[in-house]
Amino acid sequence: MAAAVDQSNYELTYLDVDRTAQRVMAPPGLKYWLWVGFCAFLVVVGGSFWTRQIYEGLGVTGYGQPTLWAVYITDFVFWVGIAHSGTLISAVLFLFRTRWRTAVYRCAETMTVFAVLTAGLFPIVHLGRPWFFYWLCPYPNERYLQPNFRSPLTWDFFAISTYLTTSALFLAMGLIPDIANQRDISTRWRKKFYTVLACGWQGTDRQWRHFSMAYLLLAGFATPLVLSVHSVVSWDFATMQTPGMHSTIFAPYFVAGAIFSGCGLVLTLIIPMRKMLHIQDLVTIWHLDSLSKVILLTSLVITYSYCTETFMVWYAQDPIEMMTFQQRFFGSQGYLFGGMVLCNCLIPLLLFAPSIRTNTVWLFIISIFVNIGMWLERFVLISGSLSTATIPSQWKFYVPKATEVFITIASFGWFLMNFSLFSKFLPIVSMTELKEGVGWLRKATRNTYPYRKAA
Amino acid sequence: MSGDIELVGVFSTDDECARAIEKLHHASIRGFHTFSPFPSEKIAEAIDEVREWGRSPVRKFVLAGGITGAIVALVMTVGTSWEWNLNTGGRPIASITPYVVIIFEMMILFGVLGAVNSFFIMSGLPSFEPASGYRTRFGADRFGLVVRAAESDSAKIEALMREAGAEEVVREAV
Repeated sequence: MAAAVDQSNYELTYLDVDRTAQRVMAPPGLKYWLWVGFCAFLVVVGGSFWTRQIYEGLGVTGYGQPTLWAVYITDFVFWVGIAHSGTLISAVLFLFRTRWRTAVYRCAETMTVFAVLTAGLFPIVHLGRPWFFYWLCPYPNERYLQPNFRSPLTWDFFAISTYLTTSALFLAMGLIPDIANQRDISTRWRKKFYTVLACGWQGTDRQWRHFSMAYLLLAGFATPLVLSVHSVVSWDFATMQTPGMHSTIFAPYFVAGAIFSGCGLVLTLIIPMRKMLHIQDLVTIWHLDSLSKVILLTSLVITYSYCTETFMVWYAQDPIEMMTFQQRFFGSQGYLFGGMVLCNCLIPLLLFAPSIRTNTVWLFIISIFVNIGMWLERFVLISGSLSTATIPSQWKFYVPKATEVFITIASFGWFLMNFSLFSKFLPIVSMTELKEGVGWLRKATRNTYPYRKAA
Repeated sequence: MSGDIELVGVFSTDDECARAIEKLHHASIRGFHTFSPFPSEKIAEAIDEVREWGRSPVRKFVLAGGITGAIVALVMTVGTSWEWNLNTGGRPIASITPYVVIIFEMMILFGVLGAVNSFFIMSGLPSFEPASGYRTRFGADRFGLVVRAAESDSAKIEALMREAGAEEVVREAV
């Protein structure tokens, strides 16, 4: 009881923030390297399947008429979607001056960069001749060819490369003051490493003046960018005539889904991380509670989108669309649709209960369901719609083969490996912004203990 | 100015540091710079009153970058369409509506590059020479105010800083 009283009076100082961040970046142990090694192993396995696919052709996958897009494009949309919550938390909530973002935004932003990097690989993996992917770039060439700027795939190229550049620069800029702090307290090779990365930052009034303006404008650019990128991704499908895809609701529906799935993955990553890295004082239950409210809201938006999409098909009474949706709901792969509704619409409703929003075990389980549900949503949309296109005699349901399965698993390994390496060598929690909002953090810390007691 | 010295005031809060800047302002002392572990609005406002800098010119580079990006994208899409005609069902060769997507993305890309480059240039980065009066604590938990003044004024400035709440004031030769 005495300990609880002490904790409720405990107030974080600037030095506490530094010490915690320093502890996170302490030299890693064997368990850490085993984990990174396991992730690297998954990447190697996936890489060998891809090598085989390049050598033998796309025939080694389950692709064939009428489903010529399936798992790879599902993975692409899934990872692009994951990236969006990072920008939402780091840029959009920054513009709204939302204080709870400070503890989780660096993690979300890092996730954004690595998720876009992962997503960018899939259109290349999907190509029969991946070494020609650069043909999408407009450049003077001996073939006198230019990309078709009217094609959504060319829009994708511009949108994704702009998004990757913006996210990476936004992350790098925010890191500079924190890296400078690490430079001042590190020794040996780490000091040299951080000295180069900090670029000589010292936190003078002149530097902060330009930093604040540049950071604000980057956030201002990132906000419409995040909306545009997933809208462009959705137009890859919406501009097609394929039943089940040709819909104007796709852009807002995809954006809401992206934020939903991204916040889900932030929870999946941050809940074990705060325990393993002992950062419960910085990433409190209050932060997780706020994040789960965003998940609940976006889940409701998605549910509404599913209903609207279905209603519009019924209202239009187009026989082909009706048949596609009937197959989606009740066809031989209808269980995938059922799983998607369960994971995206029903399970997140548990978050209405404050006791669940403040319980890390429940939150972690729900976040896993959200990730599974959002992957299924993209799969049902892409594979399901293509399988039951306009000519019923061509209908054929797609079943993935080992190549797609292992390449998909490898993408998770690739993402987690990069994320784990980043979190040990660069500050995964923004010290600068936590110090700026230390008053709010004190309030959050005070709120945490009653919450924890209730949980 | 060979008789000049630097006084480094160390403060535990940004409130105290901002108060010291206001006191220096009232005493008509303008030759100073500050260090802080985060961008403090209080310090920025106090400095702004002294220097009347206004908003950072980074925004002008961002505007220029954004306009350049949009123009480059427009020229690239329309220009290449005219150069390599792709007649699809009698639709316009240069169809602006789908190009808006590319124009928008390029505007953002060039604007972002403008923001980052101008931030580095205006802040004098990268620079590996430490600024005068820098202490590693100023990146961690303390706020620094470094005033350059004649030896004869140093006692007055030290008194002003201590009055504002400085934990310590250190004299350094220039």
